[in-house]
Amino acid sequence: MTIIAGIDIGNSTSEVCLAKFGGQAGVEFLTSGIAKTTGIKGTVANLAGVVLALNAAMDKAGLSTSDLDEIRLNEATPVIGDIAMETITETIITESTMIGHNPATPGGIGLGVGVTRTIEALASTEANEQIVCIIPQGVDYEAAAQTINVAAARGVGIQGAIVKQDDAVLIANRLSRKIPVVDEVTLIDKVPLGMMAAVEVAEPGQTIKTLSNPYGIATVFGLTPEETKLVVPVARALIGNRSAVVVRTPAGDVKARTIPAGVLTVFGERTKADIDVDAGATKIMEVVERVQAIEDVQGEAGTNVGGMLERVRQVMGELTGQALSEMKIQDILSVDTFIPQKVRGGLAEEFALENAVALAAMVKTSRLPMQQIADQLEKRLGVKVTIAGVEANMAIQGALTTPGTAKPLAILDMGGGSTDAAIITRDERILAIHLAGAGDMVTMLINSELGLNDFDLAEDIKKYSLAKVESLYHIRLEDGTVRFYEQHLPPEVFARVVILKDGYLVPIPSDHPLERIRYVRREAKKRVFVTNALRALARVAPTGNIRHIDFVVLVGGSALDFEIPEMVTDALAEYGIVCGGGNIRGVEGPRNAVATGLVLSYPKPEAGGG
Amino acid sequence: MMQINEEMIREIVTQVLQGVDLPQQAKPAVVGGRSMTLVEKGEAKPGTQADEVVIAVTPAFGKFQHKTIVNIPLSDVLRELIAGIEEQGLRARIVRILRTSDVAFAAHDATRLSGSGIAIGILSRGTTVIHQKDLPPLSNLELFSQSPLIDLPTFRAIGSNAARYAKGESPTPVPTRNDQMARPKYQAKAAVLHIKETEHVVPGAKPIELEVQFQ
Repeated sequence: MTIIAGIDIGNSTSEVCLAKFGGQAGVEFLTSGIAKTTGIKGTVANLAGVVLALNAAMDKAGLSTSDLDEIRLNEATPVIGDIAMETITETIITESTMIGHNPATPGGIGLGVGVTRTIEALASTEANEQIVCIIPQGVDYEAAAQTINVAAARGVGIQGAIVKQDDAVLIANRLSRKIPVVDEVTLIDKVPLGMMAAVEVAEPGQTIKTLSNPYGIATVFGLTPEETKLVVPVARALIGNRSAVVVRTPAGDVKARTIPAGVLTVFGERTKADIDVDAGATKIMEVVERVQAIEDVQGEAGTNVGGMLERVRQVMGELTGQALSEMKIQDILSVDTFIPQKVRGGLAEEFALENAVALAAMVKTSRLPMQQIADQLEKRLGVKVTIAGVEANMAIQGALTTPGTAKPLAILDMGGGSTDAAIITRDERILAIHLAGAGDMVTMLINSELGLNDFDLAEDIKKYSLAKVESLYHIRLEDGTVRFYEQHLPPEVFARVVILKDGYLVPIPSDHPLERIRYVRREAKKRVFVTNALRALARVAPTGNIRHIDFVVLVGGSALDFEIPEMVTDALAEYGIVCGGGNIRGVEGPRNAVATGLVLSYPKPEAGGG
Repeated sequence: MMQINEEMIREIVTQVLQGVDLPQQAKPAVVGGRSMTLVEKGEAKPGTQADEVVIAVTPAFGKFQHKTIVNIPLSDVLRELIAGIEEQGLRARIVRILRTSDVAFAAHDATRLSGSGIAIGILSRGTTVIHQKDLPPLSNLELFSQSPLIDLPTFRAIGSNAARYAKGESPTPVPTRNDQMARPKYQAKAAVLHIKETEHVVPGAKPIELEVQFQ
């Protein structure tokens, strides 16, 4: 009888499969173990995690290390991925032409047009003048309302107000004639005085109609056709707001500037191609697919994309201790995204959603020092350690133990840093590829699109489903169902959107409604995982056509996600492919594929031996 | 251990009664200098409208005590709380709780009178809490326990946040300052103010509806 342990060191977990050879059954699987990978995959720091996982499996089987005959390690694939992101557009307001920050509570309703003047100057204003009143810091709301009422009674046409403090509703409630009031304008001193201005506030739940329409602005200010062309960016920047101010200044403008992001050069075996990053993710991916197989990707020196890829190379270089020049980027995945950025020249800390490009890059390094790990492990445990086989082959062998599968079979391993695919044909040939972009990229997209600036929180949002705490005794889950509680919930989650993390409610400190967070999460997953699943399968398909693959098994950590497998299954169903989460040996779910494959690859001992 | 003798207590009491000896730390944004009248309107009944936030004041508020521990006029404090609620489009209703001088219990009593289930409790010395009807009395949504550090903009923000809870929104809690020196510096004064407040407690009394008029 021979006891064998297969050990798979992955990016995030180390997994063990324990089996007994000999006897009638041939191979009998005993137990499995799992532990967090310690250190970076492929380094000696992994040992601690490996021993932990191994001990867990041995304990469950009631065995000790001395019973082991052989430990089989995987030959880890020497690919490492990294991600980066750059904004490629920028909004600039010049001469303080507009205020479009959407305060939570503007006051009054309607559109008012007049000349900007401070509240102190109202007393000296002639009757019949049309005025937009500017109310700086330190003016009490009752005093402000009274000053306006007195002036209005005198016949001054006060059409609207712009306020620094959060007083709009308070002032509007005290006015004898309702006018639109926009508040929380931080830099109110910079509003140009003596200029024509228009203030618009829509009803609650509505958006402004006049100032978000170029012809509306033209009507308000009596613009010529040439001038109307120039206000298009202003109108566009105000679309979707509940309140806005537009000031007409001689040269004021809102510019949506494109930041030159630079040119990517993709080097293939035979050809090379240039693509401007501004062209967007779709165009970049078209070029990447056309140039296959990629030997390296470089960014134009001195540009954003150049810096981005240089950073990736540098990180990879530090990790592996290899020279920067040897770092060849083997694949990139580009995704269009947006980042909320503060508008330059804004008066009220306006934010605009700027376009950005997220890039994941995959670097192939020379062999990882697996032999070192094997030697150290052998010394530590006193058991023979063999490096048994290439990860992809082992994963396929393991995946084939899923009930209901047959060759040809493809596996998709969606991890944190890379998406790997492998296929085994009827005649046992195995082909494997590694693509850039996986779980970490999803986290980055969630983090930036929601403006969280908290990577751990973004990671939790990615992994767990959401709920809204509607009262202290019930929450509404993201699918609309309600869950009640006997005991009241902790007060810090009251009225908040929460993550349901292992039975705990973790509040998300942001203003985003649940629907928006859910949408961002699902879109990020689709853009990375569905795109990569299709890309990966097209490359390993023997004919280059996805339709010729019959079975796809999802393995790895992301296959455990609560929605990624469904998304991929759904997308692949269109191609008539049977796809689903693996169930290794019928018991392990999508985990343990490589470890199981390592055990299965053990040369069968002579009959009757052991 | 600090030795407490009669002479020391006498000294503290004198200091408190003078009321002006302590430095005014928090600067009000707008010092109104308004006076207010609190008109008692009989027993407060539970409200039914979901757009109201109840402000619960304690026995001595505006009646026997007129300034917070750092001498901010209580009229300005109440005005800012109401303004914060009104700016969010909700209405404030004011009740006086007579049966206790504990801010948590006063606020919790008021949550049961509040149509929205949200109430703000405030002591005469300035300690403030935002409460919700389903919570146990000693829990809270937001607590501002260091009364010497609360200024008028903070009171406005407290009113605003309470209203946003009532609307079912999830506001960011009002940032609170923390000062280790506030405790030793004001503890004696706080204790005396609390004793003065508690003197006016009427055990078992029903809450009283108040109408506030600012001059």
